[in-house]
Amino acid sequence: MKETPLSNCERDFLLKAIQEKKRLDGRQTYDYRKLKIMFGTDFGCCFVELGKTRVMAQVSCELVAPKENRPNEGIMFFNIELSPMASPAFEQGRQSELSVKLNRQLERCLRNSKCIDLESLCVVSGEKVWQIRVDVHMLNHDGNLMDAASITAIASLCHFRRPDVGIQGDEVTVYSPDERDPIPLSIYHMPISVSFAFFQQGTYLLVDPCEREERVMDGLLMIAMNKHREICSIQSSGGIMLLKEQVMRCSKIASVKVSEITKLIMKALENDKTARKAGGKCGFAESMPQERITALKKDETAVEMTDVTERANDIVLNAEVPPQTSQSLLVPLPGMGQVGKDLQNSWGIEEYYQDEEEAFNSDEDKQTMMEVGEKQKVHEDVVEISDSEEDEVVILQPEATDRAHKKTSSSSHLKEPAKSKKRHRK
Amino acid sequence: MSSFRCFVLCGNMAGLELLSDQGYRLDGRKASELRKVQARMGVFAQADGSAYLEQGNTKALAVVYGPHEMRGSRSRTLHDRAVINCQYSMATFSMSERKRRPHGDRKSTEMSLHLKQTFEAAVMTQLYPRSQIDIYVKILQSDGGNYSVCVNAATLAVIDAGIPMLDYVCASTVGFVDETPLADLCYAEESGGVSSLALALLPRGGQIALLQMDARLHQDNLEALMDAAMTACKGVSKVLDQVVRQHLQEASLATGD
Amino acid sequence: MLSRLKAKVGSVLLPGDEFCLDTTGADTISLAGPSKANKVVCGPGLRRSGDRLLVYKSGLLRHKEPNMFWMDAQHKRYVPAKGETVIGIVTSKSGDVFKVDIGGSEQASLSYLAFEGATKRNRPNVQVGDLLFAQLIVANKDMEAELVCVDSAGRANGMGVFGAGGLLFRVSLGLARRLLAPQSDLRAELEQLFPCEMVVGMNGRLWVKSTGVQRTLVLANLLESCENLTPVQRRQLFGKLAQGAL
Repeated sequence: MKETPLSNCERDFLLKAIQEKKRLDGRQTYDYRKLKIMFGTDFGCCFVELGKTRVMAQVSCELVAPKENRPNEGIMFFNIELSPMASPAFEQGRQSELSVKLNRQLERCLRNSKCIDLESLCVVSGEKVWQIRVDVHMLNHDGNLMDAASITAIASLCHFRRPDVGIQGDEVTVYSPDERDPIPLSIYHMPISVSFAFFQQGTYLLVDPCEREERVMDGLLMIAMNKHREICSIQSSGGIMLLKEQVMRCSKIASVKVSEITKLIMKALENDKTARKAGGKCGFAESMPQERITALKKDETAVEMTDVTERANDIVLNAEVPPQTSQSLLVPLPGMGQVGKDLQNSWGIEEYYQDEEEAFNSDEDKQTMMEVGEKQKVHEDVVEISDSEEDEVVILQPEATDRAHKKTSSSSHLKEPAKSKKRHRK
Repeated sequence: MSSFRCFVLCGNMAGLELLSDQGYRLDGRKASELRKVQARMGVFAQADGSAYLEQGNTKALAVVYGPHEMRGSRSRTLHDRAVINCQYSMATFSMSERKRRPHGDRKSTEMSLHLKQTFEAAVMTQLYPRSQIDIYVKILQSDGGNYSVCVNAATLAVIDAGIPMLDYVCASTVGFVDETPLADLCYAEESGGVSSLALALLPRGGQIALLQMDARLHQDNLEALMDAAMTACKGVSKVLDQVVRQHLQEASLATGD
Repeated sequence: MLSRLKAKVGSVLLPGDEFCLDTTGADTISLAGPSKANKVVCGPGLRRSGDRLLVYKSGLLRHKEPNMFWMDAQHKRYVPAKGETVIGIVTSKSGDVFKVDIGGSEQASLSYLAFEGATKRNRPNVQVGDLLFAQLIVANKDMEAELVCVDSAGRANGMGVFGAGGLLFRVSLGLARRLLAPQSDLRAELEQLFPCEMVVGMNGRLWVKSTGVQRTLVLANLLESCENLTPVQRRQLFGKLAQGAL
């Protein structure tokens, strides 16, 4: 499936907005979107939300023979899966350019920076080592996949516990979690990637581009760093011309962002640990009631609502979009339709749902039905007018076909073009 | 080659120092010294542009076709500029271990992507809408700095094909050892656990067309490393300029009266 | 049947729900009503099969006097329907037609003659990537959808290329319909907020423009958030905004 093309209008607007230091979602130039880190029931399962971008990672391990040239080192394997689920632009099965780029970048970010002690993964030198496999799945694509993927991957690695092994002579026994506590990986440092989008030949720079910004940008610079301000990898992509000063500036911004994100990951890990100790429920199934995996749930978005000239009003206007003082209890989960007894619907409809039909007069109803049936018999020929591919319009009782035609066309929410193209100016 | 590889492995094991106290590197170069660059343009008759480039022991062939009409899937056509199609491959005999797949694995796909990106920045693609430029690069012998050698070779080939570029694109791989940047890394140094940085530069404006770095490096050292890389690239650009001038002179002598 | 239908108006129905026309006992009580009065028109989401009336879309049952019924749902996928006006993006120019993405399953075609004042000589100035406001004149199951930018009298009537300086974004089809409804509260409230231009396509595309980038962005965010707001919440939000802006 093809993705929707980007119109010139969107492109021009985005560029203009960027020039005025405005962004689509009301962020500042160097702001990240809201980052959420969650862990699953299993060790090494992590979900990350970066705005609307959603990524999931699962770490797994198995005992394999080591590589010949590195007999006493474990093996790390990274795989980013761009499933068509995330975006219509992603194709099933094929290794696209984007997928190669992301995979290699993740490898460079996590493997080449030697953030994990591979030698501790050796069980029997030259014979058996642990292979740690990180599968990163993109669930929803709204830009900046790389940062989300790197955060997810490192968080899930930190969360992961491998089973303990014992060696008696030649025999290697793998203990189940009940017998011996699983062991965490030894992680030296946490490299986190930060992406910078460049616009108009590098004149403008944005952190954490969203999908539409990514489609307009000239190029991208990804800097992976850890909180000790060590750069683990740099990669520029897209045909841009960078200047040295820009790279230096980006690296400075990256160091700030990385320390923030690292703190967030540590906090999430800490929370998960305490939750687990307390025996609280955690995991994927638990994420349903907490609205973790519904796309229709709504986060509060802060919108800057003033013109630059109206600075004074800024504070008032940085209002959160869904007001928290909601009086209506109609929307238990905004945007989620609920069907069933005693539940309300919340499809964002103006009229309120009234539960009255239980008490309708069945006799009367029958009568009307019979009437209709009767008339059906009289006029056997039923006209169906189908304008649309799917939405069929059926007319029961076609007395005046042409009149009916007129009616349907006016009924099915069609209007004169001038009407529906609503323009009003003040 | 195999003995060479052995030496490298031993070097790693023994923690061989990449920079001696006297300031010399494994192959006897100074820290900021480049390897010898030799190049020829117009090596093939069939291609629109071609070049051969040696940088120390790393040898690469580059061939350019185009700009021509889109081949293959037409859907990739861009209505406002040319598409650059790159393929990077390594000859099966280019390394000490025989390479089973000359192209198509993740690393070479990535390298192709990087080449493409580099030349998209440098070639004036907007002059050729709805067309395609093919750049094929093959590494004949690999001894470190594959990316930079490919870029340098491809630049000459593009110039040979007469495709307008903003400037020479020169690339160089630099490393960082003992607080000293090393220019133009060879294989022994690359695999010796040096943090390396590959940089493609348009020397005149000092614009960076591609920047890629592996392994850990403290932020404070980045600037020094980038400076070293840019100096190295400027050095390469001088050599390339000479090669182009010499080639043109020879060509005009051969054809002129 | 009518009263049962009417009783269900405004409630959620699911595909598979059905209303029986009940022909069996028809002759017992028959001649009561005047034959014209009870004509029932079924719009999108309802289908007649034999003597039953089937629901085939989930959503709310809507009703309009005298006897029109249809299902209203917050769909995201657009199915082209004849006569609807949509916002399209020109994706290519090939020969005599433009290919236009209207968000349907396939691209629609638009003849370059279907513009006001266009002749063989005088081609309209349309570039790839431009936005078009156009009307569907062919939308069949098995045929490519066709657009025009003129009405039956040959005038543009508001259609054609537009979009300079505004922002395009997507909303659900339900919200687009709500904005287009003749008496739309949402639209009325927006009007009071600040001056703006707005183009709504039935395909869920929305284009807005206001004075300045910031206001346009605010407007876009507002409309996007209106998707899941109850009227009360919305009024609160608008009220807050109005206070700030004045």
